[in-house]
Amino acid sequence: MSRSPDALRVVRVARNPGRVTRGAWRVAIGSLLPALLCAPLATLHAQRESADTTAFYKALELESAGKYKDAAPLFRTALNTTSAVSALLGLERVYAELGWSDSLLVPLDTLIRRNPHESVYRSVQLRTLQSLGREEQLHAAIDRWIRDVPGDPTPYREYARLLLQRGLTASADSVIRQAREALGSTNDLQLEIAQLRAAMGLWEQSAQAWRQALATSPYLEQAAVYALTPTPPATRSAVRQVFLGTPIDVASRRALAGLEVGWGSPSDGWLALKDLPPDSLSAAAWTDFATRAEGEERWPLARDALVAALRWQRTPETTLRAANAALRAADPGTALTLLPPEGPNAPIITDSARAARTTVPIQARALAMVGRPAAAERLVARYDRFFTPGARTALTRAIALGWVRTGDMARARASLSTAGTEGDSSDAAGWLALYEGNLRTARVLLRSSIEATPELATALAIIARIHADSAPALGRAFLMLARNDSTGAATAFVEAADRQVAGDATSILLATAAQIRSALRDDTQAVALWRRIVEQQSTTPEAPSAELEWARALRRHGDAPGAVVRLEHLILTYPQSALVPQARRELDLARAGIPGAT
Amino acid sequence: MSKHSIRRRAAALLLCVCAAAPAAAQRLLVPMDDSQQDHLKAYGITYNALKDGLSAEWLLNYRGGAFLLPDTPELRKRAALAGVTVEPIDDGQLGSIRAEISNSNMDAVPLEKAPRIAVYSPPEALPWDDAVTLALKYAGIDYTRIYDDEVEHGDLSKYEWLHLHHEDFTGQLNKFYLTYREAPWFIELMQQNMQAAKRLGFANIPALKKDVAEKIRQFVERGGFLFAMCGATETLELAIAGHDVDLAGAYIDGTPMDDDADRKMDWKRSFAFRDAHLEHSPFVNSMSDIDGHQVNVPGRRQPLGTFTLFNFSAKFDPVPSMLVQNHRAVVSDFYGVTTSFTRSVLKPSDVILAEEPGAPWVKYIHGDYGKGTWTYYGGHDPEDPQHAIGNAPTDLSLHKNSPGYRLILNNVLFPAAKKKPLKT
Repeated sequence: MSRSPDALRVVRVARNPGRVTRGAWRVAIGSLLPALLCAPLATLHAQRESADTTAFYKALELESAGKYKDAAPLFRTALNTTSAVSALLGLERVYAELGWSDSLLVPLDTLIRRNPHESVYRSVQLRTLQSLGREEQLHAAIDRWIRDVPGDPTPYREYARLLLQRGLTASADSVIRQAREALGSTNDLQLEIAQLRAAMGLWEQSAQAWRQALATSPYLEQAAVYALTPTPPATRSAVRQVFLGTPIDVASRRALAGLEVGWGSPSDGWLALKDLPPDSLSAAAWTDFATRAEGEERWPLARDALVAALRWQRTPETTLRAANAALRAADPGTALTLLPPEGPNAPIITDSARAARTTVPIQARALAMVGRPAAAERLVARYDRFFTPGARTALTRAIALGWVRTGDMARARASLSTAGTEGDSSDAAGWLALYEGNLRTARVLLRSSIEATPELATALAIIARIHADSAPALGRAFLMLARNDSTGAATAFVEAADRQVAGDATSILLATAAQIRSALRDDTQAVALWRRIVEQQSTTPEAPSAELEWARALRRHGDAPGAVVRLEHLILTYPQSALVPQARRELDLARAGIPGAT
Repeated sequence: MSKHSIRRRAAALLLCVCAAAPAAAQRLLVPMDDSQQDHLKAYGITYNALKDGLSAEWLLNYRGGAFLLPDTPELRKRAALAGVTVEPIDDGQLGSIRAEISNSNMDAVPLEKAPRIAVYSPPEALPWDDAVTLALKYAGIDYTRIYDDEVEHGDLSKYEWLHLHHEDFTGQLNKFYLTYREAPWFIELMQQNMQAAKRLGFANIPALKKDVAEKIRQFVERGGFLFAMCGATETLELAIAGHDVDLAGAYIDGTPMDDDADRKMDWKRSFAFRDAHLEHSPFVNSMSDIDGHQVNVPGRRQPLGTFTLFNFSAKFDPVPSMLVQNHRAVVSDFYGVTTSFTRSVLKPSDVILAEEPGAPWVKYIHGDYGKGTWTYYGGHDPEDPQHAIGNAPTDLSLHKNSPGYRLILNNVLFPAAKKKPLKT
C-alpha cells in the first residue's frame, strides 16, 4: 500500500521528536488529521487502481493473443482509471485491427472533455479522423485543440507531422505558417520545419532548421542525418556551411559527421569534428566517431579521433585504442608516442601479465616498424614468460620483418630461428625467402600462410606466374615494398618485368607497379604502365583491368573523349571480361548519359 | 575470248551475285522481351540506325516489340558497346518470323526516318528532372532544348517531335508560389519568366505561356507529334481551351481568376479533354479535375496502384500498338503534378492506351488533331513514384529494363513509322 506524502512527513517527524520545533508540530498535527482521514480512502483507491490495472493488463494479454474483441471492453473499462492514456492507445490498436476505428471517437470526446490538456488524446483523435478520411472533422478537431490550449505549439506540431507523414508538404507548410502567426515564433517547431524543408527539397533551409532543433534536442542527431542524407551533391556544400557555422555546436557537428560518412566521405566527417573544443561532449563525439572508424577499419581516422579524445581525458583504454589504431594506420611513430616503452609515462599498465597481452605487442611491433628491432627484441624478452605461444610467434615474425626493414637479413633469419622449427617453416620465413629471390622456398611457405592479406595474394599471384626458382630482381622489389620504399618498389617491379624470361608474369609485374604508382597519385607513370600492358600484353588477364584503370585516370583528369576511346576498345576487345559491365557504366558517365557525370 | 563466252561468264557471275545476296543480307534482331539486357538503349540503337539512313522494322507484339535492323559491323559495335542484346538472323529465320507475324496479332512496321526531336524545357537548371530527357540521354538519342524564345520565333517548324514535361502553360508556375515562394530557385524562375514575357512583348507570364500553348497547338495541327507528361498535359489543355479566359490567380498576374472561367472555356480547341472544372482557389495546389490523383491536395490525394496496357490489334491499329509495346502488360503507377486523367473529362475520340482497371482515371492516352498527333502520359518519373522537388535524378543505368520508361521511348520511335491508314 502506498502512503500519501503528508503521512510520510508525519512519520519522519514522529521518529525525531527531540529535534522538532513548535512550528513543525503544528504542521504535523495539521497534516496528521487529513492523513488519517484519507487513509481509508487511499486504501480504497489503491484497491480500485489495482483492480483497474488488472483489467488493463488482462486487456494487453488478450491483445497479444490476438483476441481483439475480448480486449476492447477491458481497455474501455480502463479508460476511467489512471491508466487511461495507455488504455486509449491499446483501444486504438485493437479497434484498428477490428476495423472499428470510428467507435473510438465517442470515448475520445469524453476523455478530451475531461482533460483538454492531454495531448495524447488529441493526437489519437487526429490520427483516427485521418484514418477514417473525415477531413472536415479533422480540421474542426485541430481548431478546437488550438482554441483550448492557446499559445501551445503542440497542436500545430502534431498536425504538421500528420501531414508530413502523408507527404502533404504544401499543407504542412501552411500549418507552420499559421503557427508562426499565432505563436509569434516557430522555435518550438524546428523539428517539423526541418523535416518539412527536407521533404520539399529545400536542403539548406532544412539544415538551418535542424541546426536550431539540435541546439535544444541533441538526441535528434540521427533524425537529422536520416532526413538530410538525400541532399543532392550540388547542395551539400551549403548544408555543410550551415552545420560548420559559428558558434560551434557539438550536436550539429556530429550530425554533419554522420552525413559526410553517409555521403561516402568519412575523412570529411572527421573534418567536421576535429576542431571541437575539448570537453566531455566533444570527447564523446570523437570516441563515437572512432568506434565507427575502427569498425570500418579506417585506421587513420580512428587514430586521429582517439588522439583528440585523449586531449580531454587520458585513460589507459583510450590510449591503447589510439596506439593500436596508429599502428594499423602504418603510423608506428604515433603509437610509440602514445605508448612509450620506457620513460616517465611508461608503462600505463603496471600488471606485467596484462601488459604482455595489451601494450607490449603494440610497442614491440611499432619498434620493429620504425627500424628498432633490437629494442623490440629486448622488450619481448622482458615479458617472454607472459606470452602465449601464438603471441610469441607473431611477435617473433614482426621483429624478423623489422630486421628486414633495416636490411639485415642475417639477423632476420636469426630472429626467426629463435622460434625453432616453427619459425623456419612460417610464412615469415617464406617472405624472407621471397626477399632473397628464392621463389622455390617462398612458393611452399607462403602458400601455407594462415593470414590472408592483399600483399600475400599479390605475392602468390606473381610467383605462380614465374616458372623459375630464383628471381633476385623480384625479391628486391618486394623487399623495397617491405621497407616502405614505394617509389623504389614500383621501379623495381618494372625492372623485374623487363628481366622476366621464364613464365608470363610481365603483365602482372607491370600492373603491380602501376597500382603502386596510382596509389602514390602518380597517374602519369601509372598511365604509361597501363598503356604498355594494353599495347604490348593485350592477351593477358591484366590487359582489360589496365585499360579500365587507364580510362578512369583519363576521366579523372577531364579527358572524357580519351576515356571513351579506351572504354570502347575494352568492351569490344574483351567482350567476355567480367569488367565489361563496369566499363559500360564508366562509358555512360564519360558520355554524360547518366547523372553523376563530371 | 568470244562474245558468247564473255556473255556466259557475265551471266554466271550475275547468278553468283544474286545467289550470294541472301546470305549476305542477314539481319540483326533486337529482341525486346526478357532476353534483352538493356531495353532503353535498344531504342537508341534503332533511332541512330535510322538517323544514319539505314532501314529498320518494328515487329509489333513479336518478342516484346522487337526491332529488325540490317546486320552491319557498325551496328554490332554499337550494340556491344551499349550492352544491347542482338541476335543475327539469316533469311530462313527471318522467313519463320514473318510467318509467325502474319498468323498472329503481330505486324511488321517499317521505320523510315528518325524524327527531329525538340524538348521544351527552360535553359536554367531546376530542382527536378525530366524523365524524357533522362531517357533520351541514356539511350543516346540527340535532342534540342527549346524554350519560349525559340517557340515564339517559330522554331517549332524545325522539328517533328516535341516533348513537354513539367511546364505550367496557365502561367501560374505550377502554383509553387504556395510553398516555394521563398526558395531561391523559385524566385529566379519567376524573374526569368517575367523577363521573358517582357522581352517577347507580353503583359505577364500567363499571357506568354498561353501564346506558347497556342503555337504548340498549331504545331500539332500542322502535323507535329506531341508527347507530354506530368503537369504539361493538363495545363496545356487548360491554356488552349482557356485562351481568352483569365485562368491565373492574382499573385501571378495581378488580377484574380475569372469567376466564370468554367463556362468560358472553349474545349473545342483542346486536344484531349472537355468540360473539366477549374480549381478556382489560388491556395489549393491543383489546376482542375482533369488529374485523378490530386497528389498535392489534402483530402483529395488518391493512392497509387498499377496500370494496365491495352492490347491493340497490331495489324488494324498499328499506332496505338506501337505506343504500348512492352515486355510487361502491368506497370506500377507513379505520381506527378498530374498523375492521371479523369475518365469523365476525356473526349470520345481519345484512345486509351493504359488505365487502372476499375479506377475513375486513365494513365496514358493518345489522339489525332489536325494532321498531327498528341500523346499524354501522366506522372513524373516511372522509376521514382514519389519523386519530390530536390530529389536526385534517376540513374537509368540502374533501370535498364524499365517498362515505364519504355513507354516514353515508344513515343520517340513511332513518328519514324511509315504511315499506314488506320483501319479502325
